[in-house]
Amino acid sequence: MHFDWSYFWAQLLTPSSAFLVGLGLTVAMAVSAEIIGVVLGLLFAQLRLSRRRSLRAIASLYIWAVRGTPLLVQIVFIYTGLAAAGIMHFSDFTLAGITIPGNLQAGILALGLHEGAYMAEIFRAGIMAVDKGQTEAAKALGMPPLMLMRHVVLPQALRVILLPIGNQFNILLKNTTLVSVIGVSEMLLVTETINSATFRTFELYAVLGIYFLILTSAWSLFMGWVEKRLQLGRKSKIVRIQAVAAEAES
Amino acid sequence: MSMADDILVDMQNVDKYFGANKILDNVDFTVKRGEVVVLIGPSGSGKTTLLRCINHLETIEHGRIMVNGKMIGYREIGGKLIEDRERNIAVQRRDVGMVFQRFNLFANMNVLRNIAISPQLVRKAAKQEALAQARALLKRVGLAEKEEAYPSELSGGQQQRVAIARALAMNPAILLFDEPTSALDPEMVGEVLAVMREIAQSGMTMVVVTHEMGFARQVADRVVVMAQGRIIEQGPPDQIFGAPSHPVTQRLLGAVLH
Repeated sequence: MHFDWSYFWAQLLTPSSAFLVGLGLTVAMAVSAEIIGVVLGLLFAQLRLSRRRSLRAIASLYIWAVRGTPLLVQIVFIYTGLAAAGIMHFSDFTLAGITIPGNLQAGILALGLHEGAYMAEIFRAGIMAVDKGQTEAAKALGMPPLMLMRHVVLPQALRVILLPIGNQFNILLKNTTLVSVIGVSEMLLVTETINSATFRTFELYAVLGIYFLILTSAWSLFMGWVEKRLQLGRKSKIVRIQAVAAEAES
Repeated sequence: MSMADDILVDMQNVDKYFGANKILDNVDFTVKRGEVVVLIGPSGSGKTTLLRCINHLETIEHGRIMVNGKMIGYREIGGKLIEDRERNIAVQRRDVGMVFQRFNLFANMNVLRNIAISPQLVRKAAKQEALAQARALLKRVGLAEKEEAYPSELSGGQQQRVAIARALAMNPAILLFDEPTSALDPEMVGEVLAVMREIAQSGMTMVVVTHEMGFARQVADRVVVMAQGRIIEQGPPDQIFGAPSHPVTQRLLGAVLH
Protein backbone atom coordinates (compact mmCIF):
# COMPACT_ATOMS: atom_id res chain seq x y z
CA MET A 1 0.00 0.00 0.00
CA HIS A 2 1.24 3.41 -0.88
CA PHE A 3 -0.20 6.54 0.74
CA ASP A 4 1.23 9.76 -0.63
CA TRP A 5 1.36 11.92 2.51
CA SER A 6 2.62 15.05 0.81
CA TYR A 7 -0.21 14.90 -1.75
CA PHE A 8 -2.70 14.27 1.07
CA TRP A 9 -1.52 17.26 3.12
CA ALA A 10 -1.45 19.50 0.09
CA GLN A 11 -5.03 18.61 -0.79
CA LEU A 12 -6.17 18.97 2.81
CA LEU A 13 -4.47 22.25 3.64
CA THR A 14 -4.42 23.96 0.25
CA PRO A 15 -7.45 22.63 -1.60
CA SER A 16 -8.07 23.69 -5.17
CA SER A 17 -10.45 26.54 -5.80
CA ALA A 18 -12.85 24.08 -7.48
CA PHE A 19 -12.95 22.08 -4.26
CA LEU A 20 -13.63 25.22 -2.20
CA VAL A 21 -16.47 26.15 -4.53
CA GLY A 22 -17.76 22.59 -4.02
CA LEU A 23 -17.54 23.08 -0.25
CA GLY A 24 -19.50 26.30 -0.55
CA LEU A 25 -22.14 24.55 -2.66
CA THR A 26 -22.45 21.72 -0.14
CA VAL A 27 -23.09 24.16 2.69
CA ALA A 28 -25.37 26.40 0.60
CA MET A 29 -27.47 23.44 -0.55
CA ALA A 30 -27.80 22.05 2.95
CA VAL A 31 -28.81 25.40 4.42
CA SER A 32 -31.30 26.22 1.64
CA ALA A 33 -32.82 22.75 1.77
CA GLU A 34 -33.07 22.98 5.56
CA ILE A 35 -34.98 26.26 5.31
CA ILE A 36 -37.37 24.74 2.76
CA GLY A 37 -37.62 21.64 4.94
CA VAL A 38 -38.51 23.59 8.09
CA VAL A 39 -41.21 25.58 6.28
CA LEU A 40 -42.68 22.46 4.66
CA GLY A 41 -42.34 20.53 7.89
CA LEU A 42 -44.29 23.13 9.87
CA LEU A 43 -46.95 23.26 7.19
CA PHE A 44 -47.37 19.51 6.84
CA ALA A 45 -47.26 18.92 10.60
CA GLN A 46 -50.23 21.31 10.87
CA LEU A 47 -52.03 19.49 8.07
CA ARG A 48 -51.45 16.13 9.71
CA LEU A 49 -52.93 17.46 12.93
CA SER A 50 -55.83 19.16 11.16
CA ARG A 51 -59.36 18.19 12.06
CA ARG A 52 -60.17 17.91 8.33
CA ARG A 53 -59.66 14.45 6.96
CA SER A 54 -58.77 15.63 3.43
CA LEU A 55 -55.91 17.79 4.71
CA ARG A 56 -54.61 14.98 6.89
CA ALA A 57 -54.71 12.66 3.86
CA ILE A 58 -52.67 15.06 1.71
CA ALA A 59 -49.99 15.35 4.38
CA SER A 60 -49.88 11.61 4.99
CA LEU A 61 -49.51 10.94 1.27
CA TYR A 62 -46.57 13.35 0.97
CA ILE A 63 -44.78 11.95 4.01
CA TRP A 64 -45.44 8.37 2.93
CA ALA A 65 -44.17 8.93 -0.62
CA VAL A 66 -41.04 10.82 0.40
CA ARG A 67 -40.02 8.54 3.26
CA GLY A 68 -40.76 5.43 1.24
CA THR A 69 -38.51 6.16 -1.74
CA PRO A 70 -34.73 6.68 -1.98
CA LEU A 71 -33.51 10.26 -2.01
CA LEU A 72 -31.33 9.43 -5.02
CA VAL A 73 -34.42 8.39 -6.96
CA GLN A 74 -36.23 11.59 -5.91
CA ILE A 75 -33.34 13.75 -7.14
CA VAL A 76 -33.20 12.10 -10.57
CA PHE A 77 -36.99 12.05 -10.81
CA ILE A 78 -37.29 15.79 -10.11
CA TYR A 79 -34.46 16.93 -12.36
CA THR A 80 -34.38 14.44 -15.20
CA GLY A 81 -37.77 12.77 -14.91
CA LEU A 82 -39.89 15.91 -14.84
CA ALA A 83 -37.91 17.39 -17.74
CA ALA A 84 -38.25 14.21 -19.81
CA ALA A 85 -42.01 14.26 -19.27
CA GLY A 86 -42.11 17.93 -20.28
CA ILE A 87 -43.65 18.87 -16.94
CA MET A 88 -40.86 21.01 -15.54
CA HIS A 89 -37.53 21.92 -17.05
CA PHE A 90 -35.12 23.48 -14.59
CA SER A 91 -33.17 26.18 -16.43
CA ASP A 92 -30.43 28.51 -15.21
CA PHE A 93 -31.65 31.52 -13.35
CA THR A 94 -29.76 34.71 -12.60
CA LEU A 95 -30.47 36.77 -9.53
CA ALA A 96 -28.44 39.84 -8.61
CA GLY A 97 -25.54 38.75 -10.80
CA ILE A 98 -25.39 35.22 -9.39
CA THR A 99 -26.42 32.43 -11.73
CA ILE A 100 -28.12 29.48 -10.11
CA PRO A 101 -27.88 26.51 -12.49
CA GLY A 102 -30.99 24.41 -13.16
CA ASN A 103 -29.52 21.26 -11.69
CA LEU A 104 -28.65 23.10 -8.47
CA GLN A 105 -32.25 24.38 -8.20
CA ALA A 106 -33.58 20.87 -8.73
CA GLY A 107 -31.11 19.49 -6.19
CA ILE A 108 -32.10 22.00 -3.52
CA LEU A 109 -35.78 21.40 -4.22
CA ALA A 110 -35.38 17.62 -3.97
CA LEU A 111 -33.38 17.86 -0.74
CA GLY A 112 -35.88 20.37 0.66
CA LEU A 113 -38.90 18.20 -0.17
CA HIS A 114 -37.14 15.22 1.36
CA GLU A 115 -36.21 17.15 4.47
CA GLY A 116 -39.75 18.52 4.77
CA ALA A 117 -41.24 15.06 5.19
CA TYR A 118 -38.89 14.20 8.05
CA MET A 119 -39.33 17.64 9.62
CA ALA A 120 -43.12 17.23 9.48
CA GLU A 121 -42.87 14.11 11.61
CA ILE A 122 -40.45 15.78 14.04
CA PHE A 123 -42.66 18.85 14.42
CA ARG A 124 -45.75 16.70 14.81
CA ALA A 125 -44.13 14.72 17.61
CA GLY A 126 -42.98 17.95 19.28
CA ILE A 127 -46.40 19.56 19.05
CA MET A 128 -48.06 16.44 20.44
CA ALA A 129 -45.59 16.39 23.35
CA VAL A 130 -46.89 19.74 24.61
CA ASP A 131 -49.52 19.27 27.31
CA LYS A 132 -53.03 19.45 25.87
CA GLY A 133 -54.04 21.77 28.70
CA GLN A 134 -51.79 24.46 27.24
CA THR A 135 -53.73 24.41 23.97
CA GLU A 136 -57.07 24.35 25.75
CA ALA A 137 -56.16 27.33 27.91
CA ALA A 138 -55.06 29.29 24.83
CA LYS A 139 -58.26 28.36 23.00
CA ALA A 140 -60.37 29.35 25.98
CA LEU A 141 -58.74 32.78 25.92
CA GLY A 142 -59.84 33.23 22.32
CA MET A 143 -56.54 32.63 20.58
CA PRO A 144 -57.00 31.52 16.95
CA PRO A 145 -55.01 28.46 15.80
CA LEU A 146 -51.95 30.20 14.33
CA MET A 147 -51.48 32.54 17.29
CA LEU A 148 -51.80 29.66 19.71
CA MET A 149 -49.24 27.65 17.74
CA ARG A 150 -46.75 30.50 17.55
CA HIS A 151 -46.91 31.83 21.09
CA VAL A 152 -47.82 28.83 23.20
CA VAL A 153 -47.19 25.48 21.53
CA LEU A 154 -44.10 25.91 19.33
CA PRO A 155 -41.95 27.62 21.98
CA GLN A 156 -42.61 24.66 24.26
CA ALA A 157 -42.22 22.08 21.48
CA LEU A 158 -38.83 23.55 20.63
CA ARG A 159 -37.10 21.82 23.52
CA VAL A 160 -38.34 18.46 22.30
CA ILE A 161 -37.64 18.94 18.60
CA LEU A 162 -34.26 20.63 18.76
CA LEU A 163 -32.20 17.46 19.05
CA PRO A 164 -33.90 15.52 16.23
CA ILE A 165 -33.74 18.59 13.99
CA GLY A 166 -30.01 18.79 14.66
CA ASN A 167 -29.58 15.13 13.75
CA GLN A 168 -31.62 15.60 10.60
CA PHE A 169 -29.40 18.48 9.45
CA ASN A 170 -26.34 16.32 10.04
CA ILE A 171 -27.82 13.71 7.70
CA LEU A 172 -28.76 16.39 5.20
CA LEU A 173 -25.19 17.73 5.08
CA LYS A 174 -23.98 14.30 4.04
CA ASN A 175 -26.90 13.65 1.68
CA THR A 176 -25.90 16.64 -0.45
CA THR A 177 -23.33 14.31 -2.08
CA LEU A 178 -26.22 12.55 -3.84
CA VAL A 179 -26.88 15.66 -5.90
CA SER A 180 -23.61 14.93 -7.73
CA VAL A 181 -25.64 12.46 -9.78
CA ILE A 182 -27.34 15.32 -11.65
CA GLY A 183 -24.03 17.10 -12.16
CA VAL A 184 -23.90 19.65 -9.34
CA SER A 185 -20.21 20.25 -8.64
CA GLU A 186 -20.35 19.85 -4.89
CA MET A 187 -17.40 18.37 -3.00
CA LEU A 188 -17.93 14.75 -4.07
CA LEU A 189 -18.18 15.50 -7.78
CA VAL A 190 -15.14 17.81 -7.64
CA THR A 191 -13.21 15.03 -5.90
CA GLU A 192 -14.28 12.54 -8.56
CA THR A 193 -13.16 14.92 -11.29
CA ILE A 194 -9.73 15.45 -9.73
CA ASN A 195 -9.47 11.69 -9.16
CA SER A 196 -10.13 10.87 -12.79
CA ALA A 197 -7.10 12.98 -13.73
CA THR A 198 -4.75 11.93 -10.92
CA PHE A 199 -5.94 8.49 -9.71
CA ARG A 200 -4.96 9.42 -6.13
CA THR A 201 -8.25 7.88 -5.00
CA PHE A 202 -7.23 6.95 -1.45
CA GLU A 203 -5.77 10.35 -0.58
CA LEU A 204 -8.53 12.34 -2.27
CA TYR A 205 -11.40 10.50 -0.61
CA ALA A 206 -9.65 10.69 2.76
CA VAL A 207 -9.51 14.46 2.35
CA LEU A 208 -13.16 14.54 1.30
CA GLY A 209 -14.12 12.52 4.38
CA ILE A 210 -12.17 14.86 6.64
CA TYR A 211 -13.93 17.90 5.20
CA PHE A 212 -17.29 16.29 5.96
CA LEU A 213 -16.09 15.47 9.47
CA ILE A 214 -15.19 19.11 9.97
CA LEU A 215 -18.64 20.23 8.79
CA THR A 216 -20.58 17.74 10.90
CA SER A 217 -18.39 18.31 13.97
CA ALA A 218 -18.81 22.08 13.73
CA TRP A 219 -22.56 21.52 13.53
CA SER A 220 -22.54 19.24 16.58
CA LEU A 221 -20.62 21.81 18.60
CA PHE A 222 -23.10 24.49 17.58
CA MET A 223 -26.07 22.32 18.57
CA GLY A 224 -24.44 21.54 21.90
CA TRP A 225 -24.08 25.25 22.54
CA VAL A 226 -27.72 25.97 21.61
CA GLU A 227 -28.96 23.19 23.85
CA LYS A 228 -26.92 24.43 26.76
CA ARG A 229 -28.40 27.88 26.34
CA LEU A 230 -31.93 26.48 26.37
CA GLN A 231 -31.16 24.48 29.51
CA LEU A 232 -29.81 27.64 31.09
CA GLY A 233 -32.93 29.52 30.08
CA ARG A 234 -34.93 27.02 32.04
CA LYS A 235 -32.82 27.10 35.17
CA SER A 236 -30.72 30.20 35.53
CA LYS A 237 -32.27 33.37 36.80
CA ILE A 238 -29.66 35.56 35.13
CA VAL A 239 -30.63 34.49 31.64
CA ARG A 240 -34.28 34.91 32.50
CA ILE A 241 -33.80 38.40 33.88
CA GLN A 242 -31.97 39.27 30.67
CA ALA A 243 -34.93 37.91 28.72
CA VAL A 244 -37.35 39.99 30.79
CA ALA A 245 -35.22 43.08 30.25
CA ALA A 246 -35.08 42.47 26.52
CA GLU A 247 -38.84 41.96 26.53
CA ALA A 248 -39.37 45.26 28.35
CA GLU A 249 -37.25 47.08 25.79
CA SER A 250 -39.09 45.70 22.80
CA MET B 1 -83.36 44.83 29.66
CA SER B 2 -85.58 42.23 28.02
CA MET B 3 -85.79 38.62 29.11
CA ALA B 4 -83.69 37.45 26.15
CA ASP B 5 -80.86 39.87 27.00
CA ASP B 6 -80.94 38.56 30.50
CA ILE B 7 -80.01 35.03 29.49
CA LEU B 8 -76.30 34.59 28.87
CA VAL B 9 -76.11 30.85 28.29
CA ASP B 10 -78.99 28.93 26.79
CA MET B 11 -78.50 25.23 26.19
CA GLN B 12 -81.35 23.32 24.58
CA ASN B 13 -81.72 19.55 24.15
CA VAL B 14 -77.98 18.91 24.19
CA ASP B 15 -76.71 15.38 23.63
CA LYS B 16 -73.03 14.53 23.84
CA TYR B 17 -71.40 11.18 23.23
CA PHE B 18 -67.89 9.83 23.80
CA GLY B 19 -67.97 6.89 21.42
CA ALA B 20 -71.05 4.91 22.36
CA ASN B 21 -71.32 6.47 25.84
CA LYS B 22 -73.95 9.15 26.22
CA ILE B 23 -72.33 11.77 28.44
CA LEU B 24 -75.00 14.46 28.17
CA ASP B 25 -78.57 13.31 27.72
CA ASN B 26 -81.03 15.90 26.44
CA VAL B 27 -79.76 18.67 28.71
CA ASP B 28 -81.47 22.06 29.00
CA PHE B 29 -79.44 24.56 30.96
CA THR B 30 -79.58 28.34 31.20
CA VAL B 31 -77.54 30.94 33.01
CA LYS B 32 -78.79 34.45 33.62
CA ARG B 33 -76.56 37.50 33.57
CA GLY B 34 -74.99 38.03 37.02
CA GLU B 35 -75.99 34.60 38.24
CA VAL B 36 -73.63 32.25 40.09
CA VAL B 37 -74.50 28.65 39.24
CA VAL B 38 -72.78 25.75 40.97
CA LEU B 39 -72.86 22.34 39.29
CA ILE B 40 -72.57 19.31 41.56
CA GLY B 41 -73.00 15.59 41.04
CA PRO B 42 -71.23 12.28 41.41
CA SER B 43 -68.09 11.78 39.29
CA GLY B 44 -68.90 10.82 35.74
CA SER B 45 -72.23 12.63 35.85
CA GLY B 46 -71.28 14.99 33.00
CA LYS B 47 -70.72 18.27 34.91
CA THR B 48 -67.30 19.00 33.45
CA THR B 49 -68.45 18.03 29.96
CA LEU B 50 -71.44 20.35 30.22
CA LEU B 51 -69.13 23.18 31.27
CA ARG B 52 -66.72 22.50 28.40
CA CYS B 53 -69.56 22.61 25.88
CA ILE B 54 -70.28 26.23 26.82
CA ASN B 55 -67.04 27.39 25.18
CA HIS B 56 -67.00 24.59 22.63
CA LEU B 57 -64.01 22.73 24.00
CA GLU B 58 -66.32 19.79 23.35
CA THR B 59 -68.45 19.16 20.29
CA ILE B 60 -72.08 18.18 20.72
CA GLU B 61 -74.12 15.65 18.79
CA HIS B 62 -77.52 17.21 19.19
CA GLY B 63 -79.17 20.40 20.38
CA ARG B 64 -77.84 23.93 20.41
CA ILE B 65 -75.99 26.26 22.74
CA MET B 66 -76.42 30.02 22.63
CA VAL B 67 -73.90 32.21 24.41
CA ASN B 68 -74.60 35.92 24.61
CA GLY B 69 -77.33 35.53 22.00
CA LYS B 70 -75.15 33.75 19.43
CA MET B 71 -74.85 30.06 18.73
CA ILE B 72 -71.42 28.76 19.72
CA GLY B 73 -69.43 26.22 17.75
CA TYR B 74 -71.88 25.73 14.92
CA ARG B 75 -73.54 27.47 12.01
CA GLU B 76 -76.93 26.56 10.73
CA ILE B 77 -76.91 25.83 7.02
CA GLY B 78 -80.15 24.59 5.44
CA GLY B 79 -81.53 23.39 8.76
CA LYS B 80 -78.34 21.46 9.54
CA LEU B 81 -75.71 22.34 12.11
CA ILE B 82 -72.19 22.49 10.68
CA GLU B 83 -69.18 22.96 12.96
CA ASP B 84 -67.90 26.51 12.64
CA ARG B 85 -64.36 27.50 11.62
CA GLU B 86 -61.83 27.56 14.46
CA ARG B 87 -61.19 31.24 13.82
CA ASN B 88 -64.86 32.14 14.32
CA ILE B 89 -65.13 30.01 17.43
CA ALA B 90 -62.05 31.78 18.80
CA VAL B 91 -63.81 35.13 18.47
CA GLN B 92 -66.76 33.86 20.54
CA ARG B 93 -64.50 32.38 23.19
CA ARG B 94 -63.04 35.80 24.00
CA ASP B 95 -66.08 36.54 26.13
CA VAL B 96 -66.15 33.20 27.93
CA GLY B 97 -63.37 32.85 30.50
CA MET B 98 -62.33 29.48 31.82
CA VAL B 99 -60.39 28.29 34.85
CA PHE B 100 -59.11 24.72 34.67
CA GLN B 101 -58.60 22.06 37.27
CA ARG B 102 -54.91 21.81 36.37
CA PHE B 103 -54.40 25.61 36.03
CA ASN B 104 -52.79 25.32 32.56
CA LEU B 105 -50.70 28.46 32.90
CA PHE B 106 -48.44 28.91 29.88
CA ALA B 107 -45.20 27.25 30.99
CA ASN B 108 -43.03 29.34 28.65
CA MET B 109 -44.11 32.70 30.05
CA ASN B 110 -43.78 34.46 33.37
CA VAL B 111 -46.85 35.36 35.41
CA LEU B 112 -47.24 38.88 34.04
CA ARG B 113 -46.97 37.70 30.44
CA ASN B 114 -49.44 34.90 31.11
CA ILE B 115 -52.03 37.49 32.06
CA ALA B 116 -51.18 40.21 29.55
CA ILE B 117 -50.71 38.12 26.42
CA SER B 118 -54.33 37.56 25.46
CA PRO B 119 -55.52 41.15 25.93
CA GLN B 120 -52.48 42.21 23.91
CA LEU B 121 -52.72 39.70 21.07
CA VAL B 122 -56.42 38.85 20.98
CA ARG B 123 -58.00 42.14 22.06
CA LYS B 124 -55.20 44.21 20.50
CA ALA B 125 -54.73 46.24 23.67
CA ALA B 126 -51.67 48.48 23.87
CA LYS B 127 -48.77 46.80 25.63
CA GLN B 128 -48.50 49.28 28.50
CA GLU B 129 -52.23 49.11 29.05
CA ALA B 130 -52.22 45.30 29.08
CA LEU B 131 -49.33 45.22 31.55
CA ALA B 132 -50.95 47.78 33.84
CA GLN B 133 -54.18 45.77 33.84
CA ALA B 134 -52.24 42.55 34.50
CA ARG B 135 -50.52 44.15 37.50
CA ALA B 136 -53.84 45.37 38.85
CA LEU B 137 -55.33 41.89 38.51
CA LEU B 138 -52.32 40.30 40.19
CA LYS B 139 -52.84 42.66 43.09
CA ARG B 140 -56.52 41.74 43.20
CA VAL B 141 -55.66 38.03 43.58
CA GLY B 142 -52.95 38.87 46.12
CA LEU B 143 -49.87 38.02 44.06
CA ALA B 144 -48.46 41.43 43.16
CA GLU B 145 -44.94 40.35 44.15
CA LYS B 146 -44.94 37.32 41.81
CA GLU B 147 -45.15 39.01 38.43
CA GLU B 148 -41.74 37.78 37.24
CA ALA B 149 -42.10 34.23 38.53
CA TYR B 150 -42.62 31.32 36.16
CA PRO B 151 -45.56 28.96 36.76
CA SER B 152 -43.25 26.13 37.85
CA GLU B 153 -42.01 28.30 40.71
CA LEU B 154 -45.47 28.82 42.19
CA SER B 155 -47.59 26.67 44.49
CA GLY B 156 -50.81 25.18 43.13
CA GLY B 157 -52.94 27.76 44.90
CA GLN B 158 -50.83 30.61 43.53
CA GLN B 159 -50.99 29.16 40.01
CA GLN B 160 -54.74 28.91 40.20
CA ARG B 161 -55.05 32.51 41.38
CA VAL B 162 -52.89 33.61 38.43
CA ALA B 163 -55.11 31.53 36.15
CA ILE B 164 -58.16 33.36 37.48
CA ALA B 165 -56.44 36.70 36.88
CA ARG B 166 -55.57 35.57 33.36
CA ALA B 167 -59.20 34.72 32.63
CA LEU B 168 -60.40 38.04 34.08
CA ALA B 169 -57.93 39.97 31.93
CA MET B 170 -60.09 39.31 28.86
CA ASN B 171 -63.07 41.02 30.57
CA PRO B 172 -65.29 38.02 29.92
CA ALA B 173 -69.07 38.12 30.15
CA ILE B 174 -68.98 34.82 32.02
CA LEU B 175 -66.40 32.76 33.89
CA LEU B 176 -66.42 28.96 33.87
CA PHE B 177 -64.63 27.09 36.66
CA ASP B 178 -63.84 23.40 36.12
CA GLU B 179 -63.16 21.91 39.57
CA PRO B 180 -60.76 24.75 40.37
CA THR B 181 -59.69 23.38 43.77
CA SER B 182 -59.63 19.63 43.06
CA ALA B 183 -55.93 19.52 42.18
CA LEU B 184 -54.87 21.58 45.21
CA ASP B 185 -53.38 20.56 48.52
CA PRO B 186 -56.04 21.09 51.21
CA GLU B 187 -54.29 24.07 52.78
CA MET B 188 -54.47 25.98 49.47
CA VAL B 189 -58.16 25.49 48.77
CA GLY B 190 -59.18 28.42 50.95
CA GLU B 191 -57.10 31.06 49.19
CA VAL B 192 -58.60 30.13 45.81
CA LEU B 193 -62.16 29.99 47.10
CA ALA B 194 -61.67 33.41 48.70
CA VAL B 195 -60.72 34.90 45.34
CA MET B 196 -63.70 33.21 43.67
CA ARG B 197 -66.01 34.54 46.36
CA GLU B 198 -64.73 38.06 45.82
CA ILE B 199 -65.30 37.77 42.06
CA ALA B 200 -68.82 36.46 42.59
CA GLN B 201 -69.56 39.42 44.84
CA SER B 202 -68.32 41.78 42.12
CA GLY B 203 -71.27 40.65 40.01
CA MET B 204 -69.50 38.32 37.59
CA THR B 205 -71.63 35.63 35.95
CA MET B 206 -70.13 32.29 36.98
CA VAL B 207 -70.67 28.59 36.38
CA VAL B 208 -68.68 26.51 38.85
CA VAL B 209 -68.17 22.76 38.84
CA THR B 210 -66.99 21.83 42.32
CA HIS B 211 -67.10 19.42 45.19
CA GLU B 212 -66.80 22.29 47.70
CA MET B 213 -70.28 22.18 49.19
CA GLY B 214 -69.54 25.00 51.62
CA PHE B 215 -68.76 27.29 48.69
CA ALA B 216 -71.89 26.15 46.85
CA ARG B 217 -74.02 26.83 49.88
CA GLN B 218 -72.65 30.30 50.57
CA VAL B 219 -71.97 31.70 47.12
CA ALA B 220 -74.34 30.02 44.65
CA ASP B 221 -77.55 31.66 43.52
CA ARG B 222 -78.60 28.31 42.14
CA VAL B 223 -77.30 24.77 42.60
CA VAL B 224 -77.70 22.30 39.74
CA VAL B 225 -77.38 18.57 40.46
CA MET B 226 -76.39 16.20 37.67
CA ALA B 227 -76.40 12.42 37.46
CA GLN B 228 -75.81 10.17 34.46
CA GLY B 229 -75.74 13.03 31.98
CA ARG B 230 -78.98 14.61 33.13
CA ILE B 231 -79.93 17.51 35.35
CA ILE B 232 -81.92 15.79 38.07
CA GLU B 233 -82.60 18.68 40.37
CA GLN B 234 -81.91 22.40 40.72
CA GLY B 235 -82.81 25.30 42.94
CA PRO B 236 -81.50 27.78 45.48
CA PRO B 237 -78.85 26.33 47.83
CA ASP B 238 -81.18 26.40 50.83
CA GLN B 239 -83.60 24.13 49.02
CA ILE B 240 -80.98 21.74 47.60
CA PHE B 241 -79.01 21.44 50.83
CA GLY B 242 -81.97 21.77 53.17
CA ALA B 243 -84.49 19.53 51.49
CA PRO B 244 -83.01 17.59 48.57
CA SER B 245 -85.80 15.77 46.75
CA HIS B 246 -83.87 13.36 44.53
CA PRO B 247 -82.36 10.23 46.13
CA VAL B 248 -79.06 10.77 44.26
CA THR B 249 -78.80 14.26 45.74
CA GLN B 250 -79.61 12.94 49.19
CA ARG B 251 -76.91 10.29 48.86
CA LEU B 252 -74.41 12.78 47.40
CA LEU B 253 -74.91 15.35 50.13
CA GLY B 254 -75.04 12.67 52.79
CA ALA B 255 -71.69 11.35 51.66
CA VAL B 256 -70.18 14.82 51.69
CA LEU B 257 -71.78 16.29 54.77
CA HIS B 258 -71.54 13.37 57.16
